[in-house]
Amino acid sequence: MIEIGFLKKENLQAFLKELAAKYTVYAPFAEEDIVSFKPLAEGRDICLDRPANLSPKSVIFPQYETLFKYSFLKKEDSPDKVDIKLEEQMDFKDTVIFGARPCDAKGFTVYDRVYKDSDIPDPYYTGRREKTVIIGLACPAPSPGCFCVSVGGGPADKEGSDILITELPSGYVFEPVTEKGKALMQSSLIEDGKASLQEAQKKQEETKNKVKNPFTKTGKPEISQKIFNEDEFWEQALSKCVSCAACTFLCPTCYCFNITDESRLKEGERIRSWDACMFFHFTLEASGHNPRPTKFHRFKNRVGHKFVYYPEKYNGVIACCGCGRCIRYCPVSVDISKVVDDLCEQSAETNLTSNGGKA
Amino acid sequence: MSMEMLRDVVKNVLSEVDVVIGYTEGFDKVHATPLFINTPEQVDRLIWSPICVHNLTTYLPSLKKKVGIIVKGCDSRTIVQYMQEGLINRENIKIIGIPCSGVISVKKLTKAVDYANIEDISFEKDGKINVTTDKGQKTLALTDVQPDKCRTCQYPTPVIYDHLIGDPISSDKPKESVYEDIVEFDKMTLEEKLNYWLKEFDRCIRCYACRNACPMCICQDSCIAETREPHWISQRLTTQEKLMFHMIHAVHLAGRCVECGECERVCPMGIPVNKLKRKINMDMKDLFDYEPGVNPDDKPPMYTFNVDELKIKEHKIG
Amino acid sequence: MKNPYLPELATITNIIEETPNIKSFHVVFNDPEKMKNFKFEPGQVGQLSVFGVGESTFVINSPPTRMEYLQFSVMKAGEVTNAIHELYVGDQIGVRAPLGNWFPYEQMKGKKILFIGGGIGLAPLRTLILFMLDNRKDYDDITILYGARTPPDLCYKDDLKEWESRSDVNLILTVDTEYPGWTKRTGFVPTVLNEIAPSPENTIAITCGPPIMIKFVLQNLVKLNFKDEQIITTLEKRMKCGIGICGRCNIGSKYVCKDGPVFSLDQLKALPPEL
Repeated sequence: MIEIGFLKKENLQAFLKELAAKYTVYAPFAEEDIVSFKPLAEGRDICLDRPANLSPKSVIFPQYETLFKYSFLKKEDSPDKVDIKLEEQMDFKDTVIFGARPCDAKGFTVYDRVYKDSDIPDPYYTGRREKTVIIGLACPAPSPGCFCVSVGGGPADKEGSDILITELPSGYVFEPVTEKGKALMQSSLIEDGKASLQEAQKKQEETKNKVKNPFTKTGKPEISQKIFNEDEFWEQALSKCVSCAACTFLCPTCYCFNITDESRLKEGERIRSWDACMFFHFTLEASGHNPRPTKFHRFKNRVGHKFVYYPEKYNGVIACCGCGRCIRYCPVSVDISKVVDDLCEQSAETNLTSNGGKA
Repeated sequence: MSMEMLRDVVKNVLSEVDVVIGYTEGFDKVHATPLFINTPEQVDRLIWSPICVHNLTTYLPSLKKKVGIIVKGCDSRTIVQYMQEGLINRENIKIIGIPCSGVISVKKLTKAVDYANIEDISFEKDGKINVTTDKGQKTLALTDVQPDKCRTCQYPTPVIYDHLIGDPISSDKPKESVYEDIVEFDKMTLEEKLNYWLKEFDRCIRCYACRNACPMCICQDSCIAETREPHWISQRLTTQEKLMFHMIHAVHLAGRCVECGECERVCPMGIPVNKLKRKINMDMKDLFDYEPGVNPDDKPPMYTFNVDELKIKEHKIG
Repeated sequence: MKNPYLPELATITNIIEETPNIKSFHVVFNDPEKMKNFKFEPGQVGQLSVFGVGESTFVINSPPTRMEYLQFSVMKAGEVTNAIHELYVGDQIGVRAPLGNWFPYEQMKGKKILFIGGGIGLAPLRTLILFMLDNRKDYDDITILYGARTPPDLCYKDDLKEWESRSDVNLILTVDTEYPGWTKRTGFVPTVLNEIAPSPENTIAITCGPPIMIKFVLQNLVKLNFKDEQIITTLEKRMKCGIGICGRCNIGSKYVCKDGPVFSLDQLKALPPEL
């Protein structure tokens, strides 16, 4: 039994093909400028050297999925009435996600607490998650805007991955993390990699040192309730937001969704689709009342969810993996790490002054 | 233009308005970010360079205040279009125009340095850009990494302003060049075009960045993409649904789109959505001899009609 | 694993027109076993489905002590509620219930109970009122202050009649302004609350109504020296999943669909002001 594996670069394609015999294998592919996770297919080139634009979250939490189908059947005894038939849609395939960055893999652990390990588990997410093996790829270099180390992760963080692989000039070092991962290493193409582990760890460490920590004063995102609840802060920080969902849809940890009925005449589906707390419609009530009526309220909720509310529920765990996508792809470059840093800084100042006001 | 002059003008304007919108440094060297200036101290954070890509006028209709705003030539057309459509009160707006010789496209720049991380960038007077990446140094020509709109820019100097920073620049690009790429694209067969769009829109994630960044998207929170009554578009993520949204978006902008290209710039999936709008604008120009956002006294062609439209023969009466 | 998104099919067995825009629906699960074994607590909610239109959340306003049917009261407001209003007796409906928390009725035993309701906000209170009347000896005085815009807008008229006739219930009705034939009080609920000025001693106040009414009722209760933990309200939010995931109904870290809808004022005060 190999404890640390090694895959030669020239064997990567063969290894993935071998996996594809048993699993649906998703890997990051480049289509011109855009890298996203797609099933392995002829003519697609794997792209491991830059982070995917879209995280692989849709593999386990598709952007839309059918919860169940409904159909209306005429009642034979009373033709003015219909019977309703409901059919659940649950068919999950054995899947491998290859080349998820540690931030992407961490994203799934944020989901897990809510969707899988809760008192009312979500059967669709749980079903897919349990059938999915994640081969994480140690991040070779930080990208602009990313800050994984300061939110409890790191470029070689193993949380969420079943195997962590590290790219070296000649191949990939495989470090199994879970039993699921170990099982995947039973391939004749995987050689013993113990000799390369040190080199891999050195590389991991080098990358880690390059990741910036945006939380200048405190080093970690500590937010005081008082500052957090000041409307003025959000108006200053968020005037430029255009209220789109680029940040939430690209985010590996954002998990809000919508449920809608989409019908044809005698049948239809209740579907679940990604939704975004940044949309005005998201919380709009039928009466016209909206508890989060402005973009300031909505962004506050987004930051709150990741840095205050989620940690409150789950032992201080931050629901942000620091991948930086929301920063890199924001139409107006809203920088969540800067917003949180400003909150921390003001919080720290508040703590320093005895009157509780701003220093 | 000089930064000093810009700051002085902004300081002066600030004394007459509630907020001035300009640009400041973003999270890295190639990203600027909009800056909302409320106090004179914030004026020092202003920057101006080819990374100031955003069309800041998109904030104007929703701001119910007196606003000072920094605009490039292309952005200024939005204000004219707003005036035509009665979306702003011109008296509440102080326009600080800056003649512009082109901005960068971060997407093109990133591609030009082979997706390396850009650590620094500087712009020379002669149109050269020096880029430092984690993989080394590179010198590029600004013209190679400009958005398409700059290559055929007809309005480098704002078409409307209260203050102009620096000397006006006149366009050296032939007017006929504006829709050259669209004419070329149009030569494809219908099937080829359909396949092109199906492939492009397949990537769309329906984040609506294109819609929300669009200055002329004025339905705001009542967009057909989300309403249930009427329920024209489902929440399924099929290419069909996405195509439907983008077509509606484009058609709503017929003869209104000022071609600032924000929709395309902000798309996180790199979809060339501006092409659709420019195609429609090209046809509008041809049919109605109308160009959006140029003359405040014009009426957008879709806001009015003539019984006898000169170029629409099918509708000729008698 | 149970699928929390899959509704149970049920049939509408009776429809009561409460007001011009509110109807109450009696709903019975199609599966008799499910009906027999169905358990819920007063204050818990359910999601009603009209397939093809969608789901919306309503409190189960019949008490768990009366299990012939489940009653939901629906005010016409949006797409789903309009569709529910178009249903007839015998029509099928989807139900996901029970969801959420409930009134802490155990802790209210031996106490005076003050219900303050407005409009359709009497629905969640009705569950608890009937439950308490069915366990009358467990509670001290029961006072019900209920108001609506006009007399026709008062819900549960049969219940009101019965409560009025009972000596062990103190019912105070009010409508916003004078109305032909109305001989009882007029004035907004918060104002009437001030007029009757109930003592906070050994009392729990439970309120539900339109947000503006709740706002002033809470203020006035505090003025009457009710402590935050003596004040309970039940909230309404736009909901989708009903199991504390989808992110719509949260106020801070609390999800109204799962951690609520019942909150005491001291719990609410610890949350961001997003009612």
